[in-house]
Amino acid sequence: MSENATFQIHYFSTASAYTGKSTERLPAPLPVARLFDVLEERYPGMRKAVLGSCGLSVGDEYVDLDAELGVGQSSEGRVVIKEGEEVAVIPPVSSG
Amino acid sequence: MDNLDGTCASLRQRITETEAQLARLREELQDAERAATAAKAKSTRWPMEDEEYARYGRQMIVPQIGLPGQLKLRSSKVLIVGAGGLGCPAALYLAGAGVGTLGLVDGDEVDVSNLHRQVLHRSANVGKRKVDSAIEYLRELNPHPTYIAHPAHLTPQDAPSIFAAYDLILDCTDNPATRYLISDTAVLLRKPLVSASALRTEGQLTVLNNPPLPPGDPSGGPCYRCVFPRPPPPTSILSCADGGIVGPVVGTMGVLQALEAIKVLTSPPTPPALHIFSAYSSPLFRSIKLRSRRPTCAVCSAQPIVTLETLQSGSTDYVFFCGSVSPETLLGPNERISPQEYHKSSSSSFSSPSNPPIITIDVREKVQFDICSLDNSINVPISTILSSSSTNTTTNSNPDNNPPPWLPSQITTSPTSPIYVVCRQGNDSQVAVKKLKALGLDRGGRRIVDVMGGLRAYKRVVDPGWPEY
Repeated sequence: MSENATFQIHYFSTASAYTGKSTERLPAPLPVARLFDVLEERYPGMRKAVLGSCGLSVGDEYVDLDAELGVGQSSEGRVVIKEGEEVAVIPPVSSG
Repeated sequence: MDNLDGTCASLRQRITETEAQLARLREELQDAERAATAAKAKSTRWPMEDEEYARYGRQMIVPQIGLPGQLKLRSSKVLIVGAGGLGCPAALYLAGAGVGTLGLVDGDEVDVSNLHRQVLHRSANVGKRKVDSAIEYLRELNPHPTYIAHPAHLTPQDAPSIFAAYDLILDCTDNPATRYLISDTAVLLRKPLVSASALRTEGQLTVLNNPPLPPGDPSGGPCYRCVFPRPPPPTSILSCADGGIVGPVVGTMGVLQALEAIKVLTSPPTPPALHIFSAYSSPLFRSIKLRSRRPTCAVCSAQPIVTLETLQSGSTDYVFFCGSVSPETLLGPNERISPQEYHKSSSSSFSSPSNPPIITIDVREKVQFDICSLDNSINVPISTILSSSSTNTTTNSNPDNNPPPWLPSQITTSPTSPIYVVCRQGNDSQVAVKKLKALGLDRGGRRIVDVMGGLRAYKRVVDPGWPEY
């Protein structure tokens, strides 16, 4: 694995508005459980304003964030984002 | 002028009366036609009327639909909650496709700002109930379906009895509380749900609770709570009125809802997925495979805390769950002025050391400022002010030493000029006043106030010619 290993993260809706970008590359590998810490560090306040209600996908699969973040009773989890993977931060859009 | 107004009013009145009479005649005709065709159908060996074979032929010869699919559509009852940007195109295509019964739920009236995207409503129907306006159009498109109007906002008390009469629900609404209510009711009454949403240039689409197995059965499709267990913070929620919406974006999502509805009604369930549409990205669509029902889901798991009983008794409180933002009054009365006072101060050209020129700061986003702005106002978008707050946390720091980059230079070069902050509706302007004061800009007695009610109020009481968008 190279030193410059990255994954691509896509921001939608309020996540895109908060970060001011639709996509960027972040260093890989990264456990999903750490992703929100990394984002909070880069974009202070983002956890409370955006991430708390978001869905997340790694590759083309939705992640059970409660399991990854240890919320509630689920305890499977421990997904690691690998080099070259595509991740999407998906806030619920409610208007229409 | 008065005379002309009188003539217009009387003509309008006569048109309304004549239209009502026409509508009654149309309904009578429709009933008569229905009775006639029902009588005829009894005597024929084919399951549909002649005209229906011709009308639906182009979709019936598609193998995925066929005659069996058409007959399923014809015997199906679909409820569309919301007759707006999603509901209009969804209803249009489902009516066109020959769904047997279409119900529409909406408590709103047509507004002129709806017309760019809510394609069933026409200019002539501004002010009319949306459900009536929509059904009027749908009847002209296809007289075969039965159309049912539910002219009210969906409530937890009424939702179960309304949903019970339908086979499939479409969520075409515009707020989180109603979305959770619709999903919960659909799960509890075992109805599949086609859910979509749209804002600005993006949309989401997903088929939920399909198959609609009883709560606790892990083979049932996931529900809205499984996908989004926590609602977004109320302060982050933008409506189409505030955030904006491009017509074809919400239209695309509504048309896709109609498509998914046809698939649910005529084909076996497929694995659950969330489709994300982003009009200015490539690819335009991304599809995410969803997981099955969450074992801890509040409604569709084996240990539900939401039941028909909690829903109808009000103990499942959707407004509380989603939170609400009451109109903000962050400022005291002496920190605010009325639009009239603002107008007076801004239009007095006389300035002196004791009466320095005022500075007007407009905190709307630039795209709105570029549509229309007050003379001599300076644009500093609220998003710019707020996003810099995380990097500059010291309050009452001296802005002369280290002013934030967004601070207009006039503020530091004329330290006694009062600052008037204005926005669209009078909420963001208060947040901005707080922020300016936190920077210590009011030291030395400089006045920093917000214009109450924003430009909307300004139009109402000062300048009726101000364009409201």
